Amino acid sequence: MKLIKEPGSARSGFRDWYLQRLSAVVLAVLLPLSFVVLILVYTGHLDQFGLLDIVDNFVSRLLHTILIIALIVHAYMGLKVMIEDYVPVIGWRVSLIGGMLVLMSGFGIWWLAIIWAWGG
Amino acid sequence: MVDVIRLSVFRYDPETGSKPSMQSYEVPFLRPGMKLLDALNYIKWELDGTLTYRRSCAEGVCGSDGLNINGVNGLACITPIAGLKQPVHVRPLPGMHVIRDLVVDMDHFFDQYRQIQPWMKATTPLPEHERLQSPEDRAALDGQYECILCGCCTTACPSWWWNGDRFLGPAALLQANRWIVDSRDEAMGERLDQLEDAFRLYRCHQIMNCMEACPKELNPTAAIDNIKRKILARKS
Repeated sequence: MKLIKEPGSARSGFRDWYLQRLSAVVLAVLLPLSFVVLILVYTGHLDQFGLLDIVDNFVSRLLHTILIIALIVHAYMGLKVMIEDYVPVIGWRVSLIGGMLVLMSGFGIWWLAIIWAWGG
Repeated sequence: MVDVIRLSVFRYDPETGSKPSMQSYEVPFLRPGMKLLDALNYIKWELDGTLTYRRSCAEGVCGSDGLNINGVNGLACITPIAGLKQPVHVRPLPGMHVIRDLVVDMDHFFDQYRQIQPWMKATTPLPEHERLQSPEDRAALDGQYECILCGCCTTACPSWWWNGDRFLGPAALLQANRWIVDSRDEAMGERLDQLEDAFRLYRCHQIMNCMEACPKELNPTAAIDNIKRKILARKS
């Protein structure tokens, strides 16, 4: 019989799997709303002042914040899985995931800063 | 009805050092209901004795003759030759080390099976006769216990091709679920502990090739989902 010498379970994976699905549900609810606003603008039902009223509104900012966080979490989890799938070298894998985390976090902070600084 | 079956069979002989190649054969249509294994046997016994492949029961029970047939994994002994596009391309199971011709190295596959500890674990005292099960509890094993470990599902899984060293694969996970849903087994928590891993379990991306490939029409994807739901339930 061949000797099995393997490291066993890392007790990981559940959180990523759960967050990916949770963020997908949030995106499914909130992402269409942003497209509704976009369509209203393009069809002329919403002018610049009307759009600014929506963007300025506290509830809109809150929803926008949740949307951005969900978007970044979902994208990060999805791309992390792809990197783990296709990049077999551990050094490259960790570096790429780390670099992606820094870039996405920076992008999220920048976007949130714009949302909350607007008009204030 | 065709009189002659044209086959293109994968050949590899490590002793000659030559590269793998596809070899063409023509086999007479022997009888209605003829299976691919009958054609391979004809080649072996009548045309070319050097062709090497695994076979045993010839009725879809032992799981020895798992092959890649026209790009789809299946058992040669239960695949009717009549429905196959010709020439029939016969290759070894994908993602496996080829030992010779259609014979692949199954060591790693069975190592992974062993890792899920496929036996009943119970600490309660053994009853006088046997551990009983209600008909409902027994019915929960349907769709789980029938797996013959042919490897068709695992070797059809792209996640296993990419990370087969760590991802246990559909066959081993289906078997893990077989013990998790068994009412007589008392080690569900321990089994879930051993499976909860980003690679061992969560590498399944629900591609569902396993379900398509399974010659016993089992659904390893559903079994893997059940394991994930069990882990979700104990964490929520």
